Amino acid sequence: MQNVLKALRANLILGGVAAFTVLLFGGWSGSMIGWLLGTAVGYLDTHEQSIPHPKVGLRIGAINGFALGLWVAAASLVEGLILRPLSGQAIVPLPQDLLHAVVGLAVTTVAAALMGAMQGLPRRRSKLAHQTTHGSLSRRQGTLLILAAILLFFPFADRMAQTGWIATVIQVLIFAMLALGLNIPVGYAGLLDLGYAAFFAIGAYTTGMLSSPHLGIEWNFWLVIWIAAAVAAVAGLILGSPTLPLRGDYLAIVTLGFGEIVPIVFRNLTEIRIVEPISSLFATLLNRPELAICLVGCEQPFNLTNGETGINPIGRPWLPFIGSFSSTNYLPWYYLVLLLVIFSMFMINRLRNSRLGRAWTAIREDELAASSMGINRVNVKLLAFAMGATFSGFAGAFYASYITAIFPSVFDFSVSVIILCMVILGGLGNMIGVLLGCVIIMSADRLYLPQFAQVLKGFLNTTVLPNIANPALRDFLAISVDPIQMRLFLFGLVLVVMMIVRPEGLVPNSRRRAELHSEDVVANESLADVRSVG
Amino acid sequence: MLELIDVHTYYGNIQALKGINLSVSPGEVVTLIGSNGAGKTTTLRTIQGLLRPRQGKVLFEDRELNVVSTEEIVRLGIAQSPEGRMIFPRMTVLENLEMGAFQRRDSTGIKTDMEHVFSLFPRLKERISQKGGTLSGGEQQMLAIGRALMARPRLLLLDEPSMGLAPMLVSQIFSIIQEISAEGMTILLVEQNARMALTVANRGYVLQTGEIVLSGDAKELQVNETVRKAYLGEE
Ligand SMILES: Nc1ncnc2c1ncn2[C@@H]1O[C@H](COP(=O)(O)OP(=O)(O)O)[C@@H](O)[C@H]1O
Ligand SMILES: [Mg+2]
Repeated sequence: MQNVLKALRANLILGGVAAFTVLLFGGWSGSMIGWLLGTAVGYLDTHEQSIPHPKVGLRIGAINGFALGLWVAAASLVEGLILRPLSGQAIVPLPQDLLHAVVGLAVTTVAAALMGAMQGLPRRRSKLAHQTTHGSLSRRQGTLLILAAILLFFPFADRMAQTGWIATVIQVLIFAMLALGLNIPVGYAGLLDLGYAAFFAIGAYTTGMLSSPHLGIEWNFWLVIWIAAAVAAVAGLILGSPTLPLRGDYLAIVTLGFGEIVPIVFRNLTEIRIVEPISSLFATLLNRPELAICLVGCEQPFNLTNGETGINPIGRPWLPFIGSFSSTNYLPWYYLVLLLVIFSMFMINRLRNSRLGRAWTAIREDELAASSMGINRVNVKLLAFAMGATFSGFAGAFYASYITAIFPSVFDFSVSVIILCMVILGGLGNMIGVLLGCVIIMSADRLYLPQFAQVLKGFLNTTVLPNIANPALRDFLAISVDPIQMRLFLFGLVLVVMMIVRPEGLVPNSRRRAELHSEDVVANESLADVRSVG
Repeated sequence: MLELIDVHTYYGNIQALKGINLSVSPGEVVTLIGSNGAGKTTTLRTIQGLLRPRQGKVLFEDRELNVVSTEEIVRLGIAQSPEGRMIFPRMTVLENLEMGAFQRRDSTGIKTDMEHVFSLFPRLKERISQKGGTLSGGEQQMLAIGRALMARPRLLLLDEPSMGLAPMLVSQIFSIIQEISAEGMTILLVEQNARMALTVANRGYVLQTGEIVLSGDAKELQVNETVRKAYLGEE
């Protein structure tokens, strides 16, 4: 019974998302979203039950996938037959619409069925596996196989379906790296960092300075990305050290300050002239400025960061066979950033389960108790900042070279906040949750909102405005109905709702859940006391 | 084994310890009794290097601890069950115990010590995968002591293990302390519950507003006029 309710709820939410996607993007987007969400449905509806056999999983997956596919198909027809004419887009012939709908339905069903089937595999690969009909895959391996296939083939599917999502997906993956990195200090060690974009900026600027004609240093990207990560890590140590004695609110304020300072510094490092201090002191005392020994920027002040105009162009990675990555071909960029994200996940997972990871949890839970266990608070906290910063260094390096230009204004406070929101929305301290939070926020912000704005505008211009007689009202509507301008409002709304409905995040860390629902804990404790005394 | 010589410890400008002299010999149970705010917790923190004395020396097996880091002090063999228990509430019992062994790397030794802790506190074994924060007060105290034992210390510091526990649990905890002592552990036991503390201890010190005002054999302190009036609540 509960399973049915759960499946219904998942179907309702994911069906809504799928239908919305199809309504906005039209065309083959139904097949794309059906592929992705169908896989999700196939997993969600089966993974908590114990499915005895792949065939059972296949059936459950197919049923739920079909239900989801109906949303896709219906939305395809509505989009093609009603929404397109109303929003002034080119009309698609009916057979084409039907094809979109039917293929969408089929793809969704098959995707869900496949994923469902994988959930019917044995939990562990048994020694006799090859003798049974189950094949030799374990459940986990099967699931990962499907995920890997999706990630690997996404660019091709995207090209075939002409959805053009790949550029956004690359942005999503950049932010995924940032969110994973920020999750280290905030989620694991409990150190609230409101200035994380500073490390992103440091990684990006390091890359910019070391691989652009601006300073005449044009090193290879594959070298620079490591330097950028190292510089960001050192910056993490330096910026982390003054925050060591601070806790909670105070720590947040200091990191906020750093987040503000770093872009300003990059904005203003345009006229550097460094004079040797002792000689300069004499020069002032003797009132003879020519005595001061100049070290840097003597002829003309040295321009390190090029201020508001930023550094441009920044070198791109080069690989044999592929050559230099280009801005027209997304494929190499996609696979590179995907590789970086997977590498980050792997490393962070290792860290999490290491001694250091346990020490992070301990200082988050109780700093004093942790120190009396012999955990060096100072080192452990500094390492949390440094490790977190390292991954934003990778992200910064990739970003700089991908965009090929960087400006100080890209790294302002709102970036820190958005990354923090991903971490909190997804579930502090949980890697999968953080990734999910990142995907949701980024795609809503960069993919759905602009498209929604466009469709809405078409709808207004074609259907609504011509029917309004009053010119003042018409102008008002034409100007003020713009979701892009409501971006921050919508964003804030989502956060507020989220914090009320599900404060522990989408995929909570089990410890955090306990923390947020602490009344239960207290009640349990007093009960237990009664038990133990009685 | 442990010796404090004229130790003065401050919180900022507030002087909490005003020249403490104290010693613990191997195998002994020594208790430090005193009322609230006397400086007992401060003394233990100073021994573990969580606070540093402004004046005086802390010696452990003739080694001066003043400049040794807390990690190193734990490694040298001083573990503490802190006041108010301070277990990690969102870690399981098992994870809490593992944290106690944070400074150790001998996994087989850790395993046998874990078994030993479970034999002392069978309750903990029953609740091995329960979150620390959901344990009862008595169980949390057992966990705090067990966690300290997981460091395989040679000197065990216990800060008010009876605090906030029902009388039945208090005697249970104290009998376990006796058991641990019988296995040869050296213990410095801080207590407000002077009656219980003096029954398990060999020697005792009485701390008052940062100063040791009395010291001696536990049996003698039990019958001492001042102690009886001030700490045992007798007329
Ligand atoms: N963190 C602190 N900051 C300032 N003063 C403190 C702090 N902790 C304890 N004190 C003061 O130091 C004195 C001794 O405290 P403490 O060692 O906790 O006493 P006890 O453990 O005997 O109850 C008290 O006067 C207390 O107010
Ligand atoms: Mg105390």
